[in-house]
Amino acid sequence: MDLRKTAAFFVTVITCLFFFGMTGAKAAEPYNLGVALGLTGTGALYSADQVEAVKLAVEEINAKGGFLGKHKIELFIRDTQTKPDVGVREVKDLILRDKIKAVINDYSSAVALAVKPIAQEYKVLHIAAISNSENITKINPSPYTFQVVPNTYMQGKASAVAVAKMAKQKGWKEYITIASDYEWGRSTQAEVVKVLKEMVPNLSLKKEFWPRLGEAQFTSYITGIMAMKPDFVFGVLASNDNVAWMEQAKTYGFFDKIAYPGSLISVTELILQAKTLPRNIIALTRAPFFAHLDNPMMADFVKNYRAKYNKFPSDWAVLGYDAVYALKQGVEKANSIDTEKVKDSMKGLTVNLTRGKLAFRTIDNQLSCSSYVGTITDDPKYPFPIYKDIVEVKGSESERPESEILEARKAEKK
Amino acid sequence: MDITSLFAQFLSGLTYGTILFLVAAGLSLIFGVMNILNFAHAALWLMGAYFSYTFWSWMQGYSFAFWLSIPLAGLAAAAVGWVMEVVLIKRIYKRELYEQLLITYCIALILSDTIKLTWGVTNKLIVRPEIIQKPVFIFGAPLDSYFLFVIASGAAVAIGLWWFLKYTRYGHIVKAAVYSREMVGALGIPIPRIDTWVFTLGIFLAGFAGGIQAPIGSITLGMDTAIIIQAFCVVVIGGFGSLLGTLVGSLIVGEVMSFTILFWPEGAMVLIFVITAAILIVRPWGLFGTPMRT
Repeated sequence: MDLRKTAAFFVTVITCLFFFGMTGAKAAEPYNLGVALGLTGTGALYSADQVEAVKLAVEEINAKGGFLGKHKIELFIRDTQTKPDVGVREVKDLILRDKIKAVINDYSSAVALAVKPIAQEYKVLHIAAISNSENITKINPSPYTFQVVPNTYMQGKASAVAVAKMAKQKGWKEYITIASDYEWGRSTQAEVVKVLKEMVPNLSLKKEFWPRLGEAQFTSYITGIMAMKPDFVFGVLASNDNVAWMEQAKTYGFFDKIAYPGSLISVTELILQAKTLPRNIIALTRAPFFAHLDNPMMADFVKNYRAKYNKFPSDWAVLGYDAVYALKQGVEKANSIDTEKVKDSMKGLTVNLTRGKLAFRTIDNQLSCSSYVGTITDDPKYPFPIYKDIVEVKGSESERPESEILEARKAEKK
Repeated sequence: MDITSLFAQFLSGLTYGTILFLVAAGLSLIFGVMNILNFAHAALWLMGAYFSYTFWSWMQGYSFAFWLSIPLAGLAAAAVGWVMEVVLIKRIYKRELYEQLLITYCIALILSDTIKLTWGVTNKLIVRPEIIQKPVFIFGAPLDSYFLFVIASGAAVAIGLWWFLKYTRYGHIVKAAVYSREMVGALGIPIPRIDTWVFTLGIFLAGFAGGIQAPIGSITLGMDTAIIIQAFCVVVIGGFGSLLGTLVGSLIVGEVMSFTILFWPEGAMVLIFVITAAILIVRPWGLFGTPMRT
């Protein structure tokens, strides 16, 4: 072969390879994902778990090249301090400085509600994965805001349904509520009272207690409630407040005397209070991993999360993981990382998550996911108690009817 | 409402009042002697709670771990307080009140972040020994059995401080310093050294109170911001610098909280602030305080 021809051939091949390599090596535009959670303040406990799971999901997806196999996800994590003003500031900064396309936010519904209009204004996807006030999606809906956690209405209804069954069974007549004095506590309590009234009309609400968010001393509430001798107490206390309440009420023998169903006891509390949590109380949670271990995605997630962090994933971890995977499937359906397209493709989308095949509702972008009610019981498989006799109340059974949502929106406009 | 329930509610108020007293005693002492309004007091209280957790986890397995970790928490906090006084507080005695407030507030923020960096964000739980996991009944009214210890500790601190101020030479000096630092100084008593030790004692009380608080619920970041407000209410009501005033103020706040929760739950916190505001208007030096020296 002619030497020149050979040289020309090699040059062509190398040039081709070079350009090929260029296009191959030149990564597609990265996907900047913001996480703005209450890493300090009352929400610290739950938010830290969620950040870990989000990191895990991002690593998994990036290992396969990122979204659509080419858009590497870059994470930007900020602390909202569980304060609406700080949340707004941080998210704005994430949008303007870090050019995020989506943000997972927040622990506190008050923060999520404050961030919602900001996300809409700047056309950034907003995924709520811990905060679950119904108002995030019910009124003034934003096409950019999605909620992957069962909302207050769904949770309230799910536990109210379970409690109503028990009240009928046991002939309960009077009850008291104790709820944290802020958005989530107020709206959940209101829904529970409403559902109980509908399902068990002769049940009467004797008193409502509203300890402030962050209360550490519940003694006076405990003795006060015990003095009123209700048949049962319905609690709507979150995170650290719930830990303090449970610990203190237990030392008063509260749970031996008064039925206490319906409190939010997530996997975090099951693990943290493994030794001290009263057994046989009936509780409610949002995404317990042990309810879906038959789903391979959940089983893998639990395995990988344990390998990475040496602990079991809390509800908040499960929800964070699901949030990223819901977004991934939205991107895949849109076949683009363009936020407008992803937003449209996620509307009404059915996604495969650790909690099974679930769909976003078209009317409010709320994921139609389940709530879980069960009895706190020890299990030899785990170093902490888990839920036994789990009642999985499906999204379809616990969602607010669409007609009511439309009415509420109409009323809000007036 | 039967009498037993009212008594139970009274006991709840008493325990809450005791917890407040333990926090406010050091705050009031430091203000009374040194005229420093220590905004960082509650942060040191919280640090005491975390110290207590750490000591408890180190000694876990020993039966005395639970009890010993409480005074140790006081000592550890006192060490921090001592450093704080020598390095920083000493330099701001002569400054304006607002500057002192700003500086101690900054210290509170620094301490809060130090706590977060040292102990992390997850909340800590001290598991109580078996014997205090069940309630005791006093005339039929239930009481968390740990609170017997809390109330006894509060009483011990009150009596101890009273004895110290009334019968010891240093107590006399401290009391004299409340009225006239110049006079005490003129007598050849080294005021700066007295300041250091009073501050350290005050912070010991904060840490000790934190240790006492630790096993009541869980230890979480941010607990200090709620209690500092109520501790301020206590000292305003009782009078800054007065031990008796702090005691009475704590019990008033504790009982008012407890009974308004029973009869008017929405107004529990409001009522405390109304009382505080009323005292500030009518008697700015508090129930048992003396008008502020100039």
